[in-house]
Amino acid sequence: MVVAVTPSGGTLTALVGLLTLRLTIDGTFTRYVQSGMRPWLLLAGVALFALGLFGLVIALRSHDEGAGDEADGYDDEHEDEHEDEHGVGVGWLLLAPVVTLLVVAPPSLGSYGVDRSPPIRITAGKSDLPALDPSGGPVEMTLLEYTERAFDHDGESMRDATVELTGFVSADGSGTFDLARYQIACCAADAAAAVVHIVGVASTPPRDQWVTVTGAYSSGSSDVPELAATSLQEISAPKDPYE
Amino acid sequence: MNVGETSAARLAKKAGWSGWELDLGPSAAASLVGVTTGTTDTRERTRSADVGLVVIAAVIVAAALTRPAIHDLVARPAVANFATVFVAIVLQAVPFLALGVTVSAAIGTFVPPGLLPRLLPKNPAVAVPVGAVAGVALPGCECGSVPIARRLVDRGAPGAAALTFLLAAPAINPVVLVATAVAFPGQPEMVVARFAASLLAAVVVGWIWIRLGRDDLLLARRSPHVHADTKGAAFLQIAQHDFLNAGGFLIIGAATAGALQTIVPRSILTSLSGDGVIAVLALACLAVVMAICSEADAFIAASLRQFSPTAQLAFMTVGPMVDVKLIALQAGTFGRGFALRFAPLTFVVATSSAALVGWWLL
Repeated sequence: MVVAVTPSGGTLTALVGLLTLRLTIDGTFTRYVQSGMRPWLLLAGVALFALGLFGLVIALRSHDEGAGDEADGYDDEHEDEHEDEHGVGVGWLLLAPVVTLLVVAPPSLGSYGVDRSPPIRITAGKSDLPALDPSGGPVEMTLLEYTERAFDHDGESMRDATVELTGFVSADGSGTFDLARYQIACCAADAAAAVVHIVGVASTPPRDQWVTVTGAYSSGSSDVPELAATSLQEISAPKDPYE
Repeated sequence: MNVGETSAARLAKKAGWSGWELDLGPSAAASLVGVTTGTTDTRERTRSADVGLVVIAAVIVAAALTRPAIHDLVARPAVANFATVFVAIVLQAVPFLALGVTVSAAIGTFVPPGLLPRLLPKNPAVAVPVGAVAGVALPGCECGSVPIARRLVDRGAPGAAALTFLLAAPAINPVVLVATAVAFPGQPEMVVARFAASLLAAVVVGWIWIRLGRDDLLLARRSPHVHADTKGAAFLQIAQHDFLNAGGFLIIGAATAGALQTIVPRSILTSLSGDGVIAVLALACLAVVMAICSEADAFIAASLRQFSPTAQLAFMTVGPMVDVKLIALQAGTFGRGFALRFAPLTFVVATSSAALVGWWLL
C-alpha cells in the first residue's frame, strides 16, 4: 500500500487553499466565521495552496516518466483495495464547497434560522449596568447589549436615552417587526440570535432587509425586549453581519 | 510499451502488495517511509492524471453553466441557511485541519518507529492517562486530532492511549477552558466541571477499550506508507494524503450538521428543557447533531439557559467527543466497524461522566 500523490489530489488541495484565500481577502469570510479568524485562514490558505501545488508538480513529473504505460490492458482485480491509497477517494467531496463557492457565495444567516438557533436568554436583574448618557445623541449598541440592559431592572440604565440598533428584519407585522442579529463565537454553525421587538413604525420593511432603528426603550410584556422606534433607515448588509 | 515491461510492472506491483501485507507484522513500521520502485503504481497515477483533472474541469464548467439555476436555488431561505452553515463549518475547520495534518505528517515522518512504544508506559492502563495529558497540551479542534491519533497508532502507540488522546485533545485544552470561563462569567465551577468530566470520560473510554475494544479494527486501516527520497517529500505526501482524507469526511459531517440545523425546529428542543435526565439527554443529543467546534460550544451551552447546568455540562462534554462530523471522520479514518463501536461507547461514557460530575459540582 503506497501513497501516490495524484494530480487531481494536488489540484483539489490547491483549490481549497485558493478559495480560502479569496474569501478571506475579499472579506466574504465574515459571513461564515468570526472575523478574528482572518490570520489563521490566510496562513492555512497559503499552506494548502503550496501543499497542493507541490503535489501537482510531483504527480505530473512522475506522470511524464510513466507516460508510456497508458495503452496497456491493466487488470482491475485490486481496484477496491487500492482505491483509497492511489486515488483521491473521499477527498473528491472537497469539490462540493469548491464548486459552491466558485459559483455563488451563500449569504450570511438570515431570518430563516432565527427560530432554529438557540435563543439568547438573559436572566433578569442579575447585574447593575451603568446608566447611558442621554445628552450625546443616539447611543449605538449591539442587540445583545440592548437585551442585557432591557432585562436589567426593566431597562433602568436606558431611561431618557435614545438608542440606535442595527440588524435585519426577522418577522413582520403591521406597525411592528422583529429586529434580529446573530452572535457567533466561532462560525455560523454556532450562531445564536438576539431579537428586539420594534413597535411604532409607519411601514414595515420586508423580511431580511437590514435596517438601523433609533428609538427609546419601552417596557414590553413578552420576554422579547421592546423598542419604540422614532426613525428607521434601510441600509445594505454590514461588512460583518454578526455581533 | 511492450508486453514484457507490462508484466514486469505487474509483478512489481504484486510484490509491493505482498510487501504491505508483511508490513502488518511486528517489524512493520521500519519500512513505513520506504522507497519503492518507480514502476509500482505508475499506471494508476497515469490514469487518474487523465481522468481526475478532466473530472475537476468538467464539474467546474458544468457548475458555471448552471450558475443561474444554482443562484435561484440558494435564493430559497432554507437552502441558503443550509449552504451558509455548511460553508461555515468547512471554512472554520480549514485552519484546524491544516494544523492537524501538519502535526500528523510530522509524526509520520520524524518520529522513528518504535520510539512511542519505548516512551509510553508498558502497561496500557497507565498509558491511557498519559494519552489524556498529551491531549491537554495540544490546542486544536476535533477535526485535527483524528489524523493525529491515526499516526500515533501507526507509530506503535497503544490503541487505547491514542483514542484517549483523540477524545481529550479537543475537549480540555487551554483554549477551550478559557473560552468556557469567558462564556460562563462568575461560574468557575463550570470550567472545573468541564475539565473533570471530559478528562474522566476520555480516560474511562480508554480503559474500557483495553478490556473490550478491538485494536485489530484500528490496525485494519493502517496508514499507507509513502515512497519518497527525502523526509521533506515524505512529509508533504503524508500531509496531502491526510488532508484529502480528513477533508472529504469533514464535508460529509458538515453537510449532515447543516441539514439537521436547517430542518430540526427549535420547538422540539425547548419542549425538552428543564431539569432531570431528559434535559441532559436532550442537550447531549443536540451536541451530536450540531457538530460545533469545541472552542465555540461553551457559548452555545451558556445561551441554553432554560436547561440545567448539568445538561449544559453534558453538551460541552459530549460535543468535542461525539458529533456527526466526528463520526464521519472516524469512520473514514479507522473504518466503519470501529466508528459503530466507538461512537456509542463514547456517547454513553461522556453523558454519564457529565451527569456524575454535574451532580457532584454544579
